Amino acid sequence: MREITYSEALREALRQEMRRDEHVFIIGEDVGIYGGAFGVTRGLFEEFGEERVIDTPISELGIAGAITGAALTGMRPVGEIMFMDFMTLASEQLVNQAAKIRFMFGGKATLPFVMRTPAGAGTGAAAQHSQSLENWFVHIPGLKVVMPSTPYDAKGLLIASIRDDNPVIFIEHKLLYRVKGPVPEEPYTIPLGAAEIKREGQDLTIVATSVMVQRSLEAAAQLASEGIEVEVVDPRTLKPLDAEPIIRSVMKTGRVLIVHEACKTGGYGGELAALIAESEAFDYLEAPIVRLAGRDMPIPYNRTLEYHAVPQVENIVAKARELAQGRI
Amino acid sequence: MAIPVIMPKLEMTQETATIIEWLKQEGEEVEKGEPLLVVETDKITVDIESPASGILAGVCAGPADVVPVTEIIAYLLKPGEAAPQEVVSAPTPPSPPPTATPVARRLAATAGLSLGEIAGTGPSNKICKADVERAIAAQSAPPPAKTRATPAARRIARERAVALRTVTGSGPRGRVQAADVLTSTITPERPEQAAEVIPLQGIRRTIAERITDSYQGVPHVYFTMRVDMGEFEKARASLNARMQRAAVPHVSVTVLLVKAVAWALKRHPWLNSTLRGAEIHLLPEINVGIAVALEEGLIVPVVRHADLKGVAEIARRVNELVTRAREGRLTPADVAGGTFTLSNLGPFGIEQFTAIINPPQAAILAVGATRPEATVSPEGQIVIRPVLRMTLAADHRIIDGALAARFLAELREVLENPTLLLW
Repeated sequence: MREITYSEALREALRQEMRRDEHVFIIGEDVGIYGGAFGVTRGLFEEFGEERVIDTPISELGIAGAITGAALTGMRPVGEIMFMDFMTLASEQLVNQAAKIRFMFGGKATLPFVMRTPAGAGTGAAAQHSQSLENWFVHIPGLKVVMPSTPYDAKGLLIASIRDDNPVIFIEHKLLYRVKGPVPEEPYTIPLGAAEIKREGQDLTIVATSVMVQRSLEAAAQLASEGIEVEVVDPRTLKPLDAEPIIRSVMKTGRVLIVHEACKTGGYGGELAALIAESEAFDYLEAPIVRLAGRDMPIPYNRTLEYHAVPQVENIVAKARELAQGRI
Repeated sequence: MAIPVIMPKLEMTQETATIIEWLKQEGEEVEKGEPLLVVETDKITVDIESPASGILAGVCAGPADVVPVTEIIAYLLKPGEAAPQEVVSAPTPPSPPPTATPVARRLAATAGLSLGEIAGTGPSNKICKADVERAIAAQSAPPPAKTRATPAARRIARERAVALRTVTGSGPRGRVQAADVLTSTITPERPEQAAEVIPLQGIRRTIAERITDSYQGVPHVYFTMRVDMGEFEKARASLNARMQRAAVPHVSVTVLLVKAVAWALKRHPWLNSTLRGAEIHLLPEINVGIAVALEEGLIVPVVRHADLKGVAEIARRVNELVTRAREGRLTPADVAGGTFTLSNLGPFGIEQFTAIINPPQAAILAVGATRPEATVSPEGQIVIRPVLRMTLAADHRIIDGALAARFLAELREVLENPTLLLW
């Protein structure tokens, strides 16, 4: 199969959906003429014009309000927030309005929009441009939260998100944009709420999200050379969560390491850990549920410090090894 | 003040217990700590001690009754006191509840202690933390520490009815892992048993030393021969027929073998010799030792001058020696002076074996059982014959192979033709 980047896969999804459905349009800062801060929407302005690829002033709340309103009128907007950090500014519309309208109108109104935004550290963008705030939105009933980790998932999940009748927070990762992988040319969807076993193993389960899936797979390859077979599970959508494959995997291996980039405290790992502990997998645990997550600190600008602020492959290898060898 | 006897809670999850029997009867006096009744939980049957001294009264549950824990089942009264009426429903008029600090109450509740049992030392006899701690310490056994185990280990232990406490944990800080439980179900739970230790002494030590010296110091060489025992058995049968009438002991295979061996030794004096330094001594007497197995070890009493004795005399002598050996009454003279040893394990069903020379002798004959075997007759026919295998171990320093072979051939000849003994 043809290999393209994560960024290209997203662009292809947008293009194919915009060609398929005239209700789909793009709105955000520098998404049009500039082609997006990370180039995801490059070329779309040329193809679809300023009516469907709309550059906005620097007002995240405005973008969020616009897509909420547009969605209510039957459009299928795809908003973009340049850095996830500024989802904080868009939160009022997303959290207090978009997430609640369908419920408060007894299901008579739908909000079929997607809010795309890149999260994550590793680009030297410092504390205000590097956060992973997915759990802020996981916490809000009425929002779906999607975090693709591969080009294939990025395309399939974005198309599914655009076609979904609910507000979807679609979280990309800056370091994944250049990652290449096999992606079919024709449009396809991956259901929201379908986890995937990215690698099979018997000794240990790693549940990872976003860029940590890639790092966990790399760690798993290293550990395999030591005879430790790691199973890597990617939830792909944090909400709704497909818990079954995670629970089955933990019942198989008895040991689980949860890896995410967001700060550990209040992070999604706590939710996953509790879910596992509450499930039938509890009786199969052979060690405490272990989380490996970002340090509880702002992401430093200093590249060395930034590197150590979030889990890296070697941290995953070390922690997984400890867990698999029964030292935890 | 009537003291209630309650159904005790013996296990964390226990809700009821069944009364098996009262060990004291209504109206009987009991001492504090005396066994009062026997109850059964779903796990154990246990004697319940009397919580206080007094007269047993108001027994309201009998054998086979299932009683919820903490329910009052009887009272202990002082002389002249009456049991409270309506035992179950009416609580005894409450004595002023003992006052206690909140922490003391919590501690007491956690430890399952009734505040009434604790003497307060605080202001106005208030029960304080230290009082409860003393009371807890006074309880016979401290609560056992919780077993650390993974959920998976607990599940498997539950499924296989393994007591986690008995499993040694291999995980961090001794935590029991699933594999530990699985292993414990394979190996029995009893501790490894230590070997029974018996000091090497007495006859056992003598045997050990002599056998080691012989086996290490004497170059052994072995020769095995098959013997057709048909004629031998006929001769033995006819001898035994006569012996019976003469009230002489039974002629065993061993007895007749002693006679035959002595006969052959007479013709091969080198087999009846000993090596002393640079000299080979061909011995003037033929004294055949017989290996006798005793509980405490092997002993070899000797039939002296076996070549000069008749079968009846040998039989008497062997019988006497074996009896005395079994009774532990052998004298030094009985076991001294042997010049050749015969070891017959035929009675045990052994077909063939090798023996270690009994120094300073030059050879030993190991004899197996006589068993019917398919044999080729001189006419070339396959016939079933009683066959015995004997193996000679010889000191190769003084006995060459050919010499040993000639001795064995001669011995076989006499065994197969017992009339030669008359020669």
